[in-house]
Amino acid sequence: MNEVVESDVVDAGRRRVLAGMLTAYTASLIPWALAAPVASLNEGTFLALSAILVGQTALDAELGGRLHAALMTESPRFDADAQALLKLIDSEHVDPARLQATLDASHSPLAPLPRQIMRAWCLGLVGEGEAARCIAYENALNAVVVAEVLKPPTYAYGPYGSWSKPPPAKGDGGP
Amino acid sequence: MNARIRKSTLLLAMLLPLAAMHAMATTATHPASAASAAEVQRGHYLTLAGDCEACHTAPGGKAYGGGLPVATPIGSIFSTNITPSRIDGIGAYTLQQFSNALRRGVRQDGKHLYPAMPYTAYAQLNDADVRALYAYFMHGVQPVDTRPSRTQLPFPFNIRASMAFWNVMFLDKRPFMPDPAKSAQWNRGAYLARGLTHCSTCHTPRNFLMAEKPSHALAGASLGTWFAPNITPDADSGIGNWSDQEIIDYLQRGSAPGKGQAAGPMAEAIDHSLRHLTEADLAAIAVYLGSIPSRREPKATRAVDTWGRPYADLASIRGKPLPKNPDQMTGPQLYDAYCATCHQDRGQGSFDGGLPPLSHNTATGRRNTDNLVMVILDGIAWRTDGSGVRMPGFAPELSDRQVATLGTYLTQHFGDPAATVTVGQVRMLRAGGPSSNLVLLARIGLAIAIVILIAILVAIVRAWMRRRHRVLPSD
Amino acid sequence: MTTSTSADIVVVGSGICGALAAYRLAQQGLSVLILEAGPRIDRARVVAAFRNSPRKSDWMSPYPFSPWAPQPDYSPKDNGYLIQAGPYRYPAEYIRVVGGTTWHWAAQAWRLVPSDVRIKTLYDVGVDWPMAYDELDAWYQQAEEILGVAGADNTGSPRKHPFPMQPVAEPWSMRRFRERLAPAYPVVANTVARNSRSYDGRPACVGNNSCQPICPVNAQYLGINAVESAEAAGARVVPNAVVYRIEPDAKGRIVAVHYYDPNKKSYRAAGKEFILAANGIESPKLLLLSASDRFPNGIANSSGMVGRNLMDHPSSSLTFYADEEVWLGRGPQSPSSINTMRDGAFRSRHAAYRLDFTNISQVLSVTEALIAEGVYGAEFEKQLRWRAARQVNVKNVLEVLPHPENRITLASEKDALGIPKPEAHYSIDDYTRRGADVSKKDFARIAQMMGGTGLRYSPDGQFANNQHITGTLGMGDDPAKFVTDRFGRTHDHENLFCCGTGVMPTAATMNSTLTAVALALRTADHMHPPSRGKSSSAAGAEPSP
Repeated sequence: MNEVVESDVVDAGRRRVLAGMLTAYTASLIPWALAAPVASLNEGTFLALSAILVGQTALDAELGGRLHAALMTESPRFDADAQALLKLIDSEHVDPARLQATLDASHSPLAPLPRQIMRAWCLGLVGEGEAARCIAYENALNAVVVAEVLKPPTYAYGPYGSWSKPPPAKGDGGP
Repeated sequence: MNARIRKSTLLLAMLLPLAAMHAMATTATHPASAASAAEVQRGHYLTLAGDCEACHTAPGGKAYGGGLPVATPIGSIFSTNITPSRIDGIGAYTLQQFSNALRRGVRQDGKHLYPAMPYTAYAQLNDADVRALYAYFMHGVQPVDTRPSRTQLPFPFNIRASMAFWNVMFLDKRPFMPDPAKSAQWNRGAYLARGLTHCSTCHTPRNFLMAEKPSHALAGASLGTWFAPNITPDADSGIGNWSDQEIIDYLQRGSAPGKGQAAGPMAEAIDHSLRHLTEADLAAIAVYLGSIPSRREPKATRAVDTWGRPYADLASIRGKPLPKNPDQMTGPQLYDAYCATCHQDRGQGSFDGGLPPLSHNTATGRRNTDNLVMVILDGIAWRTDGSGVRMPGFAPELSDRQVATLGTYLTQHFGDPAATVTVGQVRMLRAGGPSSNLVLLARIGLAIAIVILIAILVAIVRAWMRRRHRVLPSD
Repeated sequence: MTTSTSADIVVVGSGICGALAAYRLAQQGLSVLILEAGPRIDRARVVAAFRNSPRKSDWMSPYPFSPWAPQPDYSPKDNGYLIQAGPYRYPAEYIRVVGGTTWHWAAQAWRLVPSDVRIKTLYDVGVDWPMAYDELDAWYQQAEEILGVAGADNTGSPRKHPFPMQPVAEPWSMRRFRERLAPAYPVVANTVARNSRSYDGRPACVGNNSCQPICPVNAQYLGINAVESAEAAGARVVPNAVVYRIEPDAKGRIVAVHYYDPNKKSYRAAGKEFILAANGIESPKLLLLSASDRFPNGIANSSGMVGRNLMDHPSSSLTFYADEEVWLGRGPQSPSSINTMRDGAFRSRHAAYRLDFTNISQVLSVTEALIAEGVYGAEFEKQLRWRAARQVNVKNVLEVLPHPENRITLASEKDALGIPKPEAHYSIDDYTRRGADVSKKDFARIAQMMGGTGLRYSPDGQFANNQHITGTLGMGDDPAKFVTDRFGRTHDHENLFCCGTGVMPTAATMNSTLTAVALALRTADHMHPPSRGKSSSAAGAEPSP
């Protein structure tokens, strides 16, 4: 595990370290993560891994910082595991679509990690059971991804009857 | 609470003690001429423009039967029955008597009306329209043979004659004179806006004798609680950056997207009156409003409805428990609980803007935040157009501290960041504004009256003395 | 040392039924005291709590839990308040706060169909009600006018006067069901206490899609609205007042109830008449708790029927992908249903049912499914949008027959105040299961007509519960077989009345609230008939002064 001194200053060198860890394959999945300012190498690793998992080229960096902090509080091993997983994806060119099956098949101790990160970004949740916490709702990715069609529950769709109109006819890119 | 009526009671409190001469009643007795159906119909339209029903029909009561109570600390004032009932209404009024009430503020028995009746504006009406209104009230309204409770105010408020003195000073008895240099549309707009729709009653500030200041016509005035904004054509302080169509939309539907929504007394005026006007008449009013002299606030830097932008803040409070003490809720927590549901997480409004965004909205962009507080407390409810509650009021739920925290949060992020809401302001507005102590105002009015009377007497004596000097130089 | 208070009428429970009965009686000029075990809560804080909740599919999660007034909760784990005696699990949910469980109802405000009150005569199952459907019409109408019910006439429940409001605007998704399932299945607007226009000072619906767990804008009628009406009429509400004993005199008249505050200090509330309106579980619990030497089976239980005939509405369902984008989640949650199986000769063989379409946003469940399946990368967003646009669900709402062995008893375990917890004995009989089997054919046909793919039936023999706690205080003329008479008066105690879904002798297929409210108003009017010309109906047309 790398020892990184926390700093608010955007450290280009730090990002180079991150970029240096990755092959062209992985870097191509996360152009944004490599360009975005990060507070630490660990946060950079988290954002890079997140970008690969959620399949987004751009993520809300502020939310990323909050999710990362929450996940670290949840598990002291989080950063180490995240680095290990990123290295694994990078070295073996694991397609995100096959990642979970690959980890499950090898009984990897990293197997729970992708779901933790996905839950954090896509549901805004960190922690399990009674320890679960909501870190994001309106800007969790599952709200953002459908934001031009739906409001998250409790948010008004619109004036009375506006829901009778057809939903915006936009291709949803289904399989 | 009807703030327009409240403003009238404020006026009343200031004026009544001005004891002065008693005007004689005009007692002409013209028989009601047979009215044509068209004239009755036109009269009906004019009653809508004049918003007669707003005051003269009590909630749940019969049309024009009167009896709407306006509670004041010194007793309720009741509107009168203006149906053609000969016993309880105005069925026995001649056209001239009707005209006197409407344009002079003098009723059949010669007594003066309380200035809840906007006769200073109705004085602009031309004779033909007075006839049409008379025809409608005599033939188009069902007589209601019930007498609403009589207004019985204690001394000095019961001296109706005091109005006569004020009328001499401030009532312009000349009907509207069309300006041949202006277009027919402008003249129509001016006639309506100055007369029947009585815009100035709320929007023009008043002098210390509660008469409208002609130099500041429609430049904005507080009604005690709600603030009737500047509607002169200044692009920043007024509505100069509104298109005619936006003004028409606002007067028809109570909202102009990207500009603002009507609330409080303006919502009432649109609900009861303005939305019934033809598009041509509303367009005429818009043209007229665009022509009046601009008034600019000294500190204005940009248009009220151009402040702010969508602002995302709710993520900062997620996962954190609410404080036990509701007064300790933060701005974003209050916004989350009370506002975001309709105005959305970034204050961006609903997809179609039907639930309005909070930025680029006069509700948050005005330096004077009284209307923001009032709409949070009272919400917006329309009575007659079917839309009913457009925004719930939060007076029962939110404390003064919460409204202050929330209001300031709203102006900081969605409106004019220099505007603030204070706890004292909320407390005062919740209590009905600074105008609620009518007895105190009456005493002040009485004192002013005495000073004025002395001043007038002195002036008369001096003038008389001077004339004597001139006439008899070598006495 | 006890502190005492008194009123003409003491109401135990501040839910929609108790509060409206209290409202009606307070309007008559009677002094009314409402005792509520739970605290007062604030709508806006529930909204905020929901948004902050890590369990958004658990509609109990935004509501506070009070140790002195425990309520069943099953997430993140069963809190063990409602003891399960089996054989079938009965995970009832209710909220012990001022206003009661309608804080998080879907506002479905259905009338019964006329046959529902005569199933013994017509189909030789269950029991008949001690009244005809027509007798209920007037009280249904009043209930509908107080609540502000929007509905259509084509749902099978006759009525003499029009609904107070037009049906709520149809969401696009429901329109597509209606169009594509016609004429085989008529899809109709649900009858709901939801505003299709501003009503009684409350706004029209703005489509928050969170009717459950909370309507943020007060567009659907809740028990708290009833409480506010009762208070405006003069009733007094005491929150955090946990009634633990009903006190009779030697003749069997009830003279007082005793309650604890959260610190277990005891109080006594005396009254002339009493209304027990603490729901179908807490009400029988309280009657059983009040056993004494004089009434060894508990209060109102000479028949031994208190707590028996527990019913609800189990549901099985089918989830699938329609072949077009319908985007559930625009508009209210529960807008439309199929009502053709509410009645028929088949009821001698199997349960009647309604078929109900959800309009709840599928985004949460689809996201959870994708994460569970390990769908990551670009495919995640694609799949989320595709599934959220197409995933739909149809469920049945199944009739349950009254069986004495399905019942609420007192458990040996006690709660924080030392009051025995309720225990549920429950099973689902073959009559209901046969109904589920029949409805499964409807599911399949509906899916086929919607071009359905990815069909996921709920497992056979497993049912979701709808929290329509019915029975346990059933009405009937025979004091040996029923707890309450046709007006809700307990057979054993002339001044003790029951209001709530517990008094319904059968469950039919309809969400039970409106019927219970109509019966509660009828009970109140029976206790103190309103004077003529001073009818207290129609809370609501605009304008409200």
